[in-house]
Amino acid sequence: MKKRLICLALALVLALPLMGCGAPKTETLDIFAMDTYMSLAAIGDGGAEVLQACSARINALEQKLSRTIEDSDVSRLNAEGSARLSEDTAALLRAALDYSEATGGAFDVTVAPLVSLWGITTDAPRVPSQAEIDALLPQVGFRHVHLDGDTAALDEGCAIDLGGIGKGYASDKTAELFSESGLSGGFVSLGGNVYVHGVTAEGNLWNVAIQDPRNTGNYACTLRLTDAFVVTSGGYQRNFTAPDGTVYQHIIDPATGYPVDRGLLSVSIVTRRKNGGTGAMADAYSTALYVMGETAAVDFWRQQGSFDMVLVTEDGRVLYTPGLSDCFNQTEGSGYDYQCLAA
Amino acid sequence: MTTSASQPELKWNRYDAVAALIVALLAVAAALWFYLPKVNSGGLTVVISVDGQQTERVRLDRFTQATVSNGGYTLRVASDGEGVWIASSDCPGQDCVHTGRIRRGGQSIVCLPAQVVVYLEGAASPDAPDVIVG
Repeated sequence: MKKRLICLALALVLALPLMGCGAPKTETLDIFAMDTYMSLAAIGDGGAEVLQACSARINALEQKLSRTIEDSDVSRLNAEGSARLSEDTAALLRAALDYSEATGGAFDVTVAPLVSLWGITTDAPRVPSQAEIDALLPQVGFRHVHLDGDTAALDEGCAIDLGGIGKGYASDKTAELFSESGLSGGFVSLGGNVYVHGVTAEGNLWNVAIQDPRNTGNYACTLRLTDAFVVTSGGYQRNFTAPDGTVYQHIIDPATGYPVDRGLLSVSIVTRRKNGGTGAMADAYSTALYVMGETAAVDFWRQQGSFDMVLVTEDGRVLYTPGLSDCFNQTEGSGYDYQCLAA
Repeated sequence: MTTSASQPELKWNRYDAVAALIVALLAVAAALWFYLPKVNSGGLTVVISVDGQQTERVRLDRFTQATVSNGGYTLRVASDGEGVWIASSDCPGQDCVHTGRIRRGGQSIVCLPAQVVVYLEGAASPDAPDVIVG
């Protein structure tokens, strides 16, 4: 009997090390920056330090890119018409102009005066007159921006706002910090801009949900991803109702000067680091393809082929690209008709 | 197989069966503990943070309401035991109020002007999203 008890005790001792193998430690950090709420998580040793480095990097970027901070690169450029830019701002403006060119101006950093005119994200949104819109349209267009190295200049009366791509660029910089750190996993969620790194604490791919624009308490779909950026643009995120009952959403078409109304509820772009994809690209393209509408967006995807996407349409369809087939999960009971696009 | 008369202690008996059963049960319990997803048995928790710092953590089924003030704005957080929402806020834009009711782990309500975040913590299922974009 004594031997049996010894054997039992030995079995317990052998089991103890296994019970000590819990999930690696997860550190989290919540910050408000770039006019949005940001949530970050890091898994593995040194996670807290990495998150602090990310926070510092994001705050430093905001000081350069903000349109409302008086001595930022962007504010100086808008106020003086020309300015020498920091390395980050110049790199981001170069990327923004490239994406503007690629999308035929559907993404445009000079749309800021029109956004201000409508005031949709302010305390006092309003529907401007056609005359007011017509007066500003000549000042909108990415060809009004001239970038030579680190020096930028604007045509008379023009202004830029990098808010439509700045958070994507910030996610690129945090992705670099994650990669250099050796962390086993983590994510950043920067106000509609998500980057997922490595795997979860349980060793799984990250389960990224795309919000249902018709019911924001639900998800249109989920994606199992790693080392990827996901950015969503949609009119449901911010809008206002005019006195006549018309709902105007916050994304302005640079060509017409009016809030976009082209049959899409949301556009989500997925880019992967291993394919050279960036958060800035996903950020810019999510806005651009929302502006384009379904047909032009699908044509653009077929031409580019450098990203994947999920489109949620007003008529109840969820369209996704074949590159997502192996990680795409429908939401049961959502009421959507799910369709994989032909390549 | 034959059993040597000089080694009677190796003969299988009911005590061996009990010991083997205990070891097997321990092994199964350890494996389940290790491999099964860690689900919050207490259900969802309402977490309120102000300026990035947690100020309140209450189990959803025990949370009734809270009033949060910051940055010159005041929000009233309400609950029906199955979800939470911002019942009123004097912030401009009212985006937090328009977010409506949240009821799943990982969902949050953000008031940017007040820098207040109300979120539900605790995965409801192994398939619950890790991060939400939208």
